Amino acid sequence: MKAVKRLLKGIALCSIVFAVSACGSEESQNGSDDSSDSADKITIFQDKVEISEQFEKLAAEYTAETGVEVEVWGTTGSDYFQQLQVRLNSNQGPTIFSIQQFTELERIHSYVYDMSNESYIQHIADGMALEYEGNVYGVPYGLEGFGLVYNKDLVSPEDMTDLDSFVATLERLDQEGVNPISLASNSFFIIGHLSNYPFSLQENNYEFVQQLNNGEVSMAETEEFLEFGRFMEAIREFAPNPLEVSYDQQIGDFATGSTAIIHQGNWAAPMFDDYDVDFEIGMMPFPIMSNDSLAVGVASSWAINNDKDDAEIQAANDFLEWMFTSETGHRYIVEEFEFIPALTNIEANDLDPLSQAVLDASNNGKVIPWSHIYYPADSVRGVLLPPTEEFFMDDDITGDQLIEKLDAAWQSR
Amino acid sequence: MKKKNRVVYSIFTGPLVTIFSIVVLIPFIVGIYYSFFEWDGIRTNPMTFVGLDNYLRLISDQQFINSAILTIKFTFIAVISVNLLGLGFALLVTSKLKMVNPARTMFFMPNLIGGLILGYIWQFIFSDAFRLIGENTGFQAIFRNWLLDSSLALYAMVIVFSWQMAGYMMVIYIAGIQGIPGETLEAAKIDGASAWQRLKNITLPLLMPSFTICLFLTLSFGFKIYDVNLALTEGGPAGSTELFALHIYNEIFGRYNYGYGQAKAVVFFLMVAAVTLTQVYITKKREVEM
Repeated sequence: MKAVKRLLKGIALCSIVFAVSACGSEESQNGSDDSSDSADKITIFQDKVEISEQFEKLAAEYTAETGVEVEVWGTTGSDYFQQLQVRLNSNQGPTIFSIQQFTELERIHSYVYDMSNESYIQHIADGMALEYEGNVYGVPYGLEGFGLVYNKDLVSPEDMTDLDSFVATLERLDQEGVNPISLASNSFFIIGHLSNYPFSLQENNYEFVQQLNNGEVSMAETEEFLEFGRFMEAIREFAPNPLEVSYDQQIGDFATGSTAIIHQGNWAAPMFDDYDVDFEIGMMPFPIMSNDSLAVGVASSWAINNDKDDAEIQAANDFLEWMFTSETGHRYIVEEFEFIPALTNIEANDLDPLSQAVLDASNNGKVIPWSHIYYPADSVRGVLLPPTEEFFMDDDITGDQLIEKLDAAWQSR
Repeated sequence: MKKKNRVVYSIFTGPLVTIFSIVVLIPFIVGIYYSFFEWDGIRTNPMTFVGLDNYLRLISDQQFINSAILTIKFTFIAVISVNLLGLGFALLVTSKLKMVNPARTMFFMPNLIGGLILGYIWQFIFSDAFRLIGENTGFQAIFRNWLLDSSLALYAMVIVFSWQMAGYMMVIYIAGIQGIPGETLEAAKIDGASAWQRLKNITLPLLMPSFTICLFLTLSFGFKIYDVNLALTEGGPAGSTELFALHIYNEIFGRYNYGYGQAKAVVFFLMVAAVTLTQVYITKKREVEM
């Protein structure tokens, strides 16, 4: 009986201590609130699974430095935008979130805060800001680029400068007994990224996508697309059936030297860490229409929820300002997230070879823009993928027919 | 006394009715309402009233029609295979075999695995195990990756679905079989009826109530299949297995045609309701009383 009493006393005492300490911390938070007009808590929801752990560490450092609580929501992966949409719709949206596609911004722009007057946007590299009707709505995570990732022992960029030399090189590699080229089966790897080239080589790729949507132009009547069809024929002839190749297999076969060339981006670089790669890796342009530029764009952009009250928006601005200008923020962007910075105030050193290739191309102006960010929603999976899979399963379909099928699929969208 | 009963009833049914209305009835009615609008699902973006336009558009939507045909085809084959297997298993495990109890457990086990995981497991079976069998036995015409062949991928889904559902149906059939009085069967046996005659003339007719339930369940599960579809084929290859539920999800959450997708969902509901109710009506009529 005595023991029980003591236990109860103990519990009561503990709860009193806890309550007092909780009051104390609340008071101190209220105290810091008075100094500025910003909220003491923000929430962040972002789409990149790869950086979610590191991002939480960054948030903790910010809290330690400023006392502002930062809650990072778990990332859900491929259904990120659906989740975001549901949360925004139910008034439970995050303070800061990320936007991947221009078409996504178009759809939810009424929820996105116009950053045009914020000071941190001056650091964004040329043309990399997420803009809508001339105003800035997002700051890029970092640059990403893709092209032909190749084994420097087997191929050199001079070998492949146009369609003929591309085919000749694949033939040579085939005779040497290595697998010349491979694509992976994911919708973005098999067609999504590749489909950028003919669009991005147009004078104004955004306009072209709009015209295609309205049926004013067709792929089959555009030279770049017909040549793209021929490239796809060559790839089909020399590559293992992409439908049977997973991303992991593609990377593994390349890293162990049995595949000479893969179509990938610098995001794949960390995957090579799992292998003892005993050759140098490079990235070269996809030589369609003698193209000599890598496709470089922004994977995701940071945006602020316009639906929140002013204090919370101010807190979000403070956080972004801190991330983009403080030393800690810079260190995280480059070292922890391993991004190629798209901000001019960040120095990038010690990049992996693929990221270095992307950065070099971008510094030398040897880049073409991304176009898939302008495609209508769900186009890669819903429109481009089915005809492409059909193309790779049936050798009788010619490249021209592939382009016609893509045209038809785009129009029946 | 009666009044008191009513109070007691409402205490017990109240919570259930509330939950049912919140998660089923109200969303269903709201869904019908949305199907008359053109809207992308963002609250702040305009909702335009288009009347029956969404429904009229459906008639000429080739993808919708394809998906409908695929779903009907899938359900038809799946209903037959699931019920044949389920009934077969049930007859097997109610016989006098020694292995009856472990066999029951094993037949039922796949049903305990969620559809998504099942889909991923079978993806490996089709892509790796099938290929290995083909290479080692020489039957490469049959044992190759079914998921990469647009004409076979649907049957691959039927296999996985049957594997998952047959055990469940087996349990219902077992209950039915055990409800058949032993005297009837024994009398028939003494009268000289063969095993087949006993099955055809006694067991099956008396199993009609089980058939009603099993057919209803497989029909509606088959029509509504989503998780296996998503995990196993994701609608591919070349869009050859995009069944109805996945198609509607893609319309709403992929292409952001909220209203149009809702219209599809309403038509889908009417279709499933019509088919299953007809089935229940027909099989109910054939049920016999002892």
